[in-house]
Amino acid sequence: MNVLKALSALLTYPSRELQEAVPEIETILGSCANISDGARKQLRLLTQSLARDDLYELQERYTDLFDRTRSLSLHIFEHIHGESRDRGQAMVDLQNHYAEHGLEIDTSELPDFIPLFLEFLSTLPPSEACDLLGQPINIITALGERLVTRESSYQGVFQALVSLSSAMPEREAVQEILARPDADPDDLEALDAAWEDEAVQFGPGAASSCKDEITAKVRAGRRPAPGVQVASNKPVIQYSPGGQNA
Amino acid sequence: MSHFLDRLTFFRRPSEPFADGHGITTSEDRRWEDGYRKRWQHDKIVRSTHGANCTGSCSWKIYVKGGIVTWETQQTDYPRTRPELPNHEPRGCSRGASYSWYLYSGNRVKYPLVRSRLLRLWREARVMRTPVAAWASIVEDAAKRETYTSRRGLGGFVRAQWDEVTEIIAAANAYTIRKHGPDRIIGFSPIPAMSMVSYAAGSRYLSLIGGVCMSFYDWYCDLPPSSPQTWGEQTDVPESADWYNSGFLILWGSNVPQTRTPDAHFYTEARYRGAKSVVISPDYSEASKFADLWISVKQGTDAALAMAMGHVILREFYLDRQAKYFEDYVRQYTDMPMLVKLAEQNGRLVPDRQLRASDFADNLGETNNPEWKTVAFDETSESIVVPRGSVGFRWGEKGKWNLEEKDSEGRDTDLRLSFAMSHDEFANVGFPYFGNREHDHFQGTDHPDVLMRKVPVKRVKLKDGEALVATVFDLMAANYGLERGFGDPNVAKSYDEIAPYTPAWAEKITGVPRDQIITVAREFALNAEKTKGRSMIIIGAAMNHWYHCDMNYRGVINMLVMCGCVGQSGGGWSHYVGQEKLRPQSGWLPLAFGLDWGRPPRQQNSTSFFYAHTDQWRYETVGIEEILSPTAPAGSWDGALIDYNVRAERMGWLPSAPQLRQNSLDLAKKAEAAGLEAKDYVAKGLKSGELQMACEDPDHPDNWPRNMFVWRSNILGSSGKGHEYFLKHLLGTTHGVQGKDLGETGRQKPKEVAWRDKGPEGKLDLLVTLDFRMSTTCVYSDIVLPTATWYEKNDLNTSDMHPFIHPLTAAVDPSWEARSDWEIYKAIAKKFSKVAPEVLGVEKDVVLTPIQHDSVNEIAQAIDVKDWKKGEVEPIPGKTMPAVAVIERDYPNIYKRFTSLGPLMDKLGNAVKGMAWNTQHEVELLKRLNGVVTEAGASQGLAKIDTDIDATEVILSLAPETNGEVAVKAWAALSQTTGLDHRHLAIPKEDEKIRFRDVVAQPRKIISAPTWSGLESEKVCYNAGYTNVHELIPWRTLSGRQQLYQDHLWMRAFGEALCVYRPPVDLKTVKPVIDSKPNGEKQIVLNFITPHQKWGIHSTYTDNLLMLTLSRGGPIVWISENDAAQAGIADNDWIEAYNANGALTARAVVSQRVKDGMCLMYHAQEKIVNVPGSEITGQRGGIHNSVTRTVVKPTHMIGGYAQLAYGFNYYGTIGTNRDEFVIIRKMSKVDWLDTPNPDQPANLDAVAKLEAAE
Repeated sequence: MNVLKALSALLTYPSRELQEAVPEIETILGSCANISDGARKQLRLLTQSLARDDLYELQERYTDLFDRTRSLSLHIFEHIHGESRDRGQAMVDLQNHYAEHGLEIDTSELPDFIPLFLEFLSTLPPSEACDLLGQPINIITALGERLVTRESSYQGVFQALVSLSSAMPEREAVQEILARPDADPDDLEALDAAWEDEAVQFGPGAASSCKDEITAKVRAGRRPAPGVQVASNKPVIQYSPGGQNA
Repeated sequence: MSHFLDRLTFFRRPSEPFADGHGITTSEDRRWEDGYRKRWQHDKIVRSTHGANCTGSCSWKIYVKGGIVTWETQQTDYPRTRPELPNHEPRGCSRGASYSWYLYSGNRVKYPLVRSRLLRLWREARVMRTPVAAWASIVEDAAKRETYTSRRGLGGFVRAQWDEVTEIIAAANAYTIRKHGPDRIIGFSPIPAMSMVSYAAGSRYLSLIGGVCMSFYDWYCDLPPSSPQTWGEQTDVPESADWYNSGFLILWGSNVPQTRTPDAHFYTEARYRGAKSVVISPDYSEASKFADLWISVKQGTDAALAMAMGHVILREFYLDRQAKYFEDYVRQYTDMPMLVKLAEQNGRLVPDRQLRASDFADNLGETNNPEWKTVAFDETSESIVVPRGSVGFRWGEKGKWNLEEKDSEGRDTDLRLSFAMSHDEFANVGFPYFGNREHDHFQGTDHPDVLMRKVPVKRVKLKDGEALVATVFDLMAANYGLERGFGDPNVAKSYDEIAPYTPAWAEKITGVPRDQIITVAREFALNAEKTKGRSMIIIGAAMNHWYHCDMNYRGVINMLVMCGCVGQSGGGWSHYVGQEKLRPQSGWLPLAFGLDWGRPPRQQNSTSFFYAHTDQWRYETVGIEEILSPTAPAGSWDGALIDYNVRAERMGWLPSAPQLRQNSLDLAKKAEAAGLEAKDYVAKGLKSGELQMACEDPDHPDNWPRNMFVWRSNILGSSGKGHEYFLKHLLGTTHGVQGKDLGETGRQKPKEVAWRDKGPEGKLDLLVTLDFRMSTTCVYSDIVLPTATWYEKNDLNTSDMHPFIHPLTAAVDPSWEARSDWEIYKAIAKKFSKVAPEVLGVEKDVVLTPIQHDSVNEIAQAIDVKDWKKGEVEPIPGKTMPAVAVIERDYPNIYKRFTSLGPLMDKLGNAVKGMAWNTQHEVELLKRLNGVVTEAGASQGLAKIDTDIDATEVILSLAPETNGEVAVKAWAALSQTTGLDHRHLAIPKEDEKIRFRDVVAQPRKIISAPTWSGLESEKVCYNAGYTNVHELIPWRTLSGRQQLYQDHLWMRAFGEALCVYRPPVDLKTVKPVIDSKPNGEKQIVLNFITPHQKWGIHSTYTDNLLMLTLSRGGPIVWISENDAAQAGIADNDWIEAYNANGALTARAVVSQRVKDGMCLMYHAQEKIVNVPGSEITGQRGGIHNSVTRTVVKPTHMIGGYAQLAYGFNYYGTIGTNRDEFVIIRKMSKVDWLDTPNPDQPANLDAVAKLEAAE
């Protein structure tokens, strides 16, 4: 699945090397039949831009979109676990999953970084890759839609992923993600609001603040005890509608 | 086309080769690891360490799972050292790693145990009687008493309740105090540094009731008396990290990797850095593997080796060439320039005492203590001056007790070391020689008893006429037998001449080739000269366990001092034996000895005590004439060894326990009735004979010790020299003593001590032992109390191997019925307070104490030894006899006193080593920290000391080492005496206060305090003598300098004014028994050497399954291949070692490691594991001390003389045991003695019959 590797490359930080690889990428994308036309159009805009535009401009755009905008984070678990302490264990599990496939992360990136995840998928047999790609499909869909709002040609990558996946996004879940605040990184008030600590509540109504702990316990409870045999096709990336801490 | 997309950007495949193709990655299933993960799961980790007898003070993580201690691993979070110095970890060893085995082992003491015969008597008596009356009814009936005392060590324990056992103990204590006096209750516990609160629990209880705490460091022979003799300091040594700073290391009789395991890495690192290493050891020990040169010296002749090395150093660095660093060092920091009078004796001159200011017509201008100020010749003024720093300046005046190169008036001085170039004449001076004494097993030379040497002298005018005087340096050079061009026909002209103390001479005595001696001495000194003192000698117990150990040590000390190594980083004297560095000592003393309620406490030197009270003196084989010097000053040097001890006791040199035959509680009343102060009453009574010292008749029932507590100790299984004598006389049970006493053999009896034809058997009414394991001592006790292990209590722990203070922390609560030592003694105190009013109220107790070192009394008799008993002087308390004090004992309130900080801290302040300061601020702090007693009564309003943690806070708050504010106060106090400001050493840490929870979080480095002679700083490692050299604080000796010339009358009488070689003494224990009980096997006589263990720390761990598995599962004796062949012994044979003292059984380890002529038994292997019966005694084989007996030495009894004054564990007789020989033979029949005896349940009928018969 070289196409996944190509899409992974497109989502990396723009570099001279990436610019030079655009023809290679275009060839791969061109040879892939499963990409929708809409996506293909956007991808073309993206590759053209990558090949043509000033590198500083490209990098500035990328940083604005993916580094500074929380709602467009390329880390999958940002959208699943948010600030929950489950996020750590989820990353460990994902990393172990890679290790089971004989791969060790060789950069400073986290296991849930989408380009990294895509590169991993690209090493798998196509059917397995498409399967696994379906697990975070709601998030991929939501990210693509947010990029549509921003009129960014990066949307093409996400749309392409949706068309490659064997799973269909669940509309309800995607809506739920989209309903979350999507602040402009330069809107300082919105930024403050997003980062504001939740007031600690005591007494009636305070119970909800314990949800994180309970989730952690439930999750810990589900984790297999040492030495216990488990099914090998366990989901790596879990997502269920109803809130990022669910 | 590039292959951008073919490459992995974020991943790598681990199967790719790494490490230049040397690495491979495999991918087999690793689920087996989950087994370990489960094994290593735990609920919590607690920091603790190993308490009573290991001085490693290693930090350990104790893992707890479901409330059970599961295992331990080394903690690795010691504070870092500094750049370029290795860190302290890893610390720990196999023994510590096996400790958790004890907690749930079959050998754990789980319940309070009482011998059933005693408990039966008690319960019967208690039906009708009050507690004290019940106890009286048992012990006053000889037949009843014997029913349980005679069964000690023979089983028969039953469980009892805490309430009941504490009542028995309390009643016994109260009865003893009323009937005989509180000084008949004694307690033995060693090494407080390793769990100081646990020690303090028992000593606080004993001190509050007036009982006696027994010394330990001297008794188990780890105290090197040469240290107090030379430095006025018990023992002070560099921390192990300082080895790294050394350029030349000698391991002399020390086995660092085996017995200092956690510190051994510093030795490896020092070698890695480039230090040269010489290992001196008769056997090929583990340490020998560290050696660039291994020197296999004949055991017991180390002094000869050291003397020859000293000979080379003086020759090459002082005479042939003058090393400036060495000369400057010895001029300022030693007594070498001090002047010694020569005295006429039998037509020849001998060195007499050091001159004093008082010897001169005008006292050389000194009005304060002129008889305690030594003098020297000043080159600047060409006159005799009184240099500052001698002990006379320490007391009675301020500002001149320091080591500035100035005279009393403040004029700069340049003291002359030698009169070689400015002599008035040469004198022929006699020096004693002992190397010609006959000994079956030690080679000597046939030089005369008195060696005549030419010494350059000056003629000096003194008060009572003219005298010849020499410098200590010139006397030393003469004593070392050096040719100096004075035309002396008697001294050796070359190293190859066999004359004392040349390398060739030493080769003959020690078996060490002369080239090795010369090379080591030369390189050792050269390194010291080039590095300003970075040559170090690490010593283990080996050298100190000989009767003439002082000569071994002083020989080595002389080398170090000549080379300017003492007090210099990377150099000096490193005696690591029974480390006794209780760093927060001055905070601990008040807690431990109840100084907050009454001062002084009763303390006793154990060696003299056990020598007397286990009646080992009744079997003495060494006569005074065998150890007296041929140059002894005129006087009646008669009597037996015990006579010298009695003289020392009555002159106030050594302590006495019991003190007087009379009950000390009655004396105050009698004094009052007589209208006298107690001290005058006692002095008068002793003189008239109305009162008697108990030591003059140790076998009279009035003078027996009656109750004994043992805790944190296994005295009978470990340090009890003369084990069989303990069993026979102190305990009164079955024993293996083979020899006959002085009465039976018709030998000379002592003069000062009453002889009773029948030695008493069973002096103790009650022996109580607290332990967590059923040790040999427990087996012999009447009551055994289950105590907390080192993972079940809170306590503090410090070592001299590193500068940190470390906690013991309760990982879990004590198992079964066990309690911590603190809680046990608290419970006894509580019960005692309840029981005591039956016979005791508020009482006045008259306490006798010896003249204390570091007190103003230490300058008692300057010139002569005068004995009041002989009418030579009046008995003056604190001067010519023991000091006398009256202390109020509030017996019904012992518990309240025990659990609160008494008012004396507020009123009198605190003091250590002659410095005193106010403690009101700290007392206030403790009130806020621990809370205040609110309950009405004797302790209301005082700070609480309820829990063990409260007790730790008392120590930490009061000690300068852990409370920076106190450190500044202590330095300020010292500054007043020295006239130099030392406060800068602590001011940067003035606000630092270390608390218990701090050390639980991480071990903390202590704060520099004047209690110790080294510093803790960011610049130097802790090294002894550092502040003497760098802050000019005098050593606490006569001259204030390192005292190499010991001029006390008794020192001169016994030939040890200067260091000489003395061969081991002949204890004569072989001939009387060698043919007594043949078993048909060949016999061989070997020297009995008892080094420290590989598979245990003293007796601890020798019953631990894990350690037993690593060794041979029971006691072993190592012998050489040649000796084994001669006696027909093969490896692992059962053998017996015996002599007149007793017998032991063990397996033989036949090894090339061992030197011919000696055998080696790791000391303190328990007799409770895998020990068959002895063919000699018919009893179960003994412990290593079954074949030893204590022999005391008169020079260790000296007191009232500056550095030679008593201090608890500081000075006194020591329990040497390596001069002993044993007969070894194969056992012909191994009898496990496993048939029932009449006391076992199978034979209850027999018991019933026995009792019916009674």
